[in-house]
Amino acid sequence: MLEVQGLEVAHGDVRALDGVSLTVGAGEIVALLGPNGAGKSTLLLTIAGLLRPRAGRVTWDGEDLRRVSPHLVVERGLAMVPEGRRLFGSMTVEENLALGAFAPRARAARERSLERVYALFPALRERRRQVVRSLSGGQQQMVAVGRAMMTNPRLLMLDEPSLGIAPRLVDAILDSLVDINRGGVAVFLVEQNVRAALALAHRAYVLEQGRIAAHGPAADLLEDPHVRQAYLGPFGR
Amino acid sequence: MSGRGGRSETRWAAAILAGFAVLALVPLAAPRDDVLNFLLVILLSITLAESWNIVAGYAGQVNLGHAAFFGIGALVARTLWIDGTPIAAATAAGALLATLSALVIGVAAFRLRGAYFAIGTLALGEISRTTVGNVLAEISTLPTATISTYRLTHRYYVALGLAAVSVAVVAALARSRLGLGMEAVREDEEAAEASGVGALRLKLTALALSAALAGLAGGLFAYYHISYYPSHPFSPHWTFDAVLMTFIGGVGTLHGPVLGAVLYVVLKEYLAVRWVDFHLLIFGALFVAIVLVLPGGLVQAAARLRGAWRR
Repeated sequence: MLEVQGLEVAHGDVRALDGVSLTVGAGEIVALLGPNGAGKSTLLLTIAGLLRPRAGRVTWDGEDLRRVSPHLVVERGLAMVPEGRRLFGSMTVEENLALGAFAPRARAARERSLERVYALFPALRERRRQVVRSLSGGQQQMVAVGRAMMTNPRLLMLDEPSLGIAPRLVDAILDSLVDINRGGVAVFLVEQNVRAALALAHRAYVLEQGRIAAHGPAADLLEDPHVRQAYLGPFGR
Repeated sequence: MSGRGGRSETRWAAAILAGFAVLALVPLAAPRDDVLNFLLVILLSITLAESWNIVAGYAGQVNLGHAAFFGIGALVARTLWIDGTPIAAATAAGALLATLSALVIGVAAFRLRGAYFAIGTLALGEISRTTVGNVLAEISTLPTATISTYRLTHRYYVALGLAAVSVAVVAALARSRLGLGMEAVREDEEAAEASGVGALRLKLTALALSAALAGLAGGLFAYYHISYYPSHPFSPHWTFDAVLMTFIGGVGTLHGPVLGAVLYVVLKEYLAVRWVDFHLLIFGALFVAIVLVLPGGLVQAAARLRGAWRR
């Protein structure tokens, strides 16, 4: 479904991605792991069309996405929850969710999507008229996931959804991804919380210094000596 | 609680339109030319400020070439009208051309972001003024037949109608899905795009709507003034008046530009009589002070006062 081939992206003279190739199939949960500065966010932003690659291709159902505007990438069924959420802070929960359903295809499914989001995060229904800025970090992350789900995606990409959130709510967010996936949406998850990410992913890639350093089924990576040493620590497991 | 306050905007629109209804009685109650001229300038200013507010306040694009749309509206309306077209049709044609040129200019200028967009549009506005000034250097005066039948009251009601239309348009926008999208683009264009909101189309829509209203205001200018240089309505001071009035009142709100326009015109009349050109310096300083201390203008100041009162 999503196919990235030999992707190279540079920020000025600094090469952020150096020939990255990966795939995400329909209905999969795929995790992308790696240290800070490995290029994980760059990869998501490039797939979403917000950064332009120097070389390589991003294809979606066989279509080259390199010249497609970001909002049209969303219209094709590829949604992103950006790093730091990037919500519209002065607007209400409802208004943020409505913006996710702005494009024609998403608007047609608006009522159903809204019910699905409120079913995933009942706390949002209670706070739907509240200004987003007044919510806790965890609730804001729910709005961010909700806004992306309102686009009615077939693939949901998330950039560190657990960052800066109370541990109790991290579980709620990550559990919601399993529910989302059961509803037939593929999930591509960038996460620092390696153990949690590998617990819910089917497959994972490890990105280091702009290159894929390892990939395979999540269970295999949990046993991989390099991954264990680098990301799970001496007491890993 | 509501983030965008579409409902409070509607209440404000109702209050302002009720005020306009009272103003409709002025020519009957006090048919004095000085009163009508003064109110007409305020009403024209409200239209210009609200039209600028759509693209800058709601869509977040600081257009400093706004005078070009006002000028195009005036130029087309005046030319057609003097050639014998009825003023309503001439004004509509001017607004249409202003809108079309906004779309053409927008496609090019929206490649620029933020301050670059502001500078780019400022340059386009100046180019239009210089071009018109060179091609049409002669002063434009109404034919004597038209002057002999000139009725200020007609102009006054056109100004009142236009101001009402501009307030109604902004009120409808503030409630609408279109307005929600524009505000999202203003808050965070990348995040809007990543949510599936097509930013360019919304920015073009805002600019076209803004230019249409400015073009209509230009038509009123052409209908109102007996003689002026064709390049005068292209002058950047129309843009900066709109900017000042909108910022004084409160950018991105419905009632801010109305309050700003009233205060600005009244203050300007008062200061210009006493200190001649010195008032420009005062407005410059006022603008800097507002941007630094009170970026939400009078509307924000009122909200702060209410907050302090409740505490």
